[in-house]
Amino acid sequence: MHEFLSKAVEDKSIVWFKVSNNYIILEELAAQLVHQILENKTPQKIASTLAEKLTISEQEAIKAVHDVNNRIVIPNTTKSKEEQISKSKYVLPTSFAFQKHYHIHNKVFKVEFANEFQLSLLHPKFAHLETQETSKIEHTFQVFNANHLIHLVLDGECIGAWESENIHYFQGKFSMKIIECIYNKNEAEWMGVFHASAINFKSENILILGDSGNGKSTSLALLQAQGFQCIADDFVPIDQAQNVYSFPAGISIKKNALPVLLEEYPELETSAEYHYERLNKTVRYLPPQKIDYSKAAPCKALVFIKYDATIDFEISKMSKLKAFEHLVPDSWISSSPKNAASFLDWFEKMPCYQLTYSNNELMYSAIKRIFEDDL
Amino acid sequence: MKSKNPQKDFASDEFTISRKEALKKIGKYGKYTALTAIGTFIILHPKKAQATSVDNSGLIAPGADGFFD
Repeated sequence: MHEFLSKAVEDKSIVWFKVSNNYIILEELAAQLVHQILENKTPQKIASTLAEKLTISEQEAIKAVHDVNNRIVIPNTTKSKEEQISKSKYVLPTSFAFQKHYHIHNKVFKVEFANEFQLSLLHPKFAHLETQETSKIEHTFQVFNANHLIHLVLDGECIGAWESENIHYFQGKFSMKIIECIYNKNEAEWMGVFHASAINFKSENILILGDSGNGKSTSLALLQAQGFQCIADDFVPIDQAQNVYSFPAGISIKKNALPVLLEEYPELETSAEYHYERLNKTVRYLPPQKIDYSKAAPCKALVFIKYDATIDFEISKMSKLKAFEHLVPDSWISSSPKNAASFLDWFEKMPCYQLTYSNNELMYSAIKRIFEDDL
Repeated sequence: MKSKNPQKDFASDEFTISRKEALKKIGKYGKYTALTAIGTFIILHPKKAQATSVDNSGLIAPGADGFFD
């Protein structure tokens, strides 16, 4: 039988298929049909029960069963052509134009870049971790172009090669390898990596989520200035035990957020500025304060945040299904059954809130109240 | 009180059905609602690999200086 998981959430069911690693939100009755199809019951037998249950004709019922099979079960249990990370044949450059060393947690990483463009893709976020201590290098990354692909090599092994439009996957893989190295956990030991910001207060975390431009990073920086601890910006790793880990990349601050943050972070005035032409965006990076790598901690809630100048403050509980619809497509979730089960269990118990604000004080207060179970 | 226009008076006997008949009608449509609901679902695809947000990638268009050296 094909591996799948099923979980009731609100008035629907969420079904996960191992082969496709897709999550499907559907009616409880449809989930039951999926279950029966995967148990290899004959369509006639399933339809007969359905017909009786809904007082419909056998013909109508068998059509419904075939529909569920053709549109849900077959596409998610049939292996598509394996998408492999491209690993083209390459020749390692004889020299690298740039070398950087980063001290992250208890390890020193050396990163060699063949040209300045490649340097610009990784270095700005990690510049605050640069070190002159180069005697005990634990891992060496090499970044270079070959065959029109950007390549990432770690300790002599090619991790992957990406086309220019997939540069965010190249950056994601670099970040993932850093996480694997500093926490000594391989990829299979992580439940997922979430596109969110994470803050910590008294040994618990809240994930701040929302579409790009909603103000996740700005909210994170504001909360850090109020004494909450920054855990991660943009890239939040959670392990199988459902603990959130620190990731020390800089917090990306867009130009339009500067006026709000300069009072708390005057150093931003003179921070290096990076202009991304294609995105028509200018960004500075704010180093997270007091990163504590030893404090992996559970997540208390998911807060979907939105800065809106026209709204002083609004907070409400959010439909879990709506939250799930936003969360999954924006996340990497491990495709192993153990991790998928862990993810569904984790999500089931996670309270979800929608917070819209322009009044910072009320936002701080609400976040604190969520931490203190006082909302 | 009777309506001035009896033809549009939905409370008149002509338009009144019993509770039993009403439930029967709802039931008839209810089962099709259930059937339609079975075929209504949302497929969510997680990312195939870890990624930074595109918004933070500093992504430059293909062919940009430095990419294809």
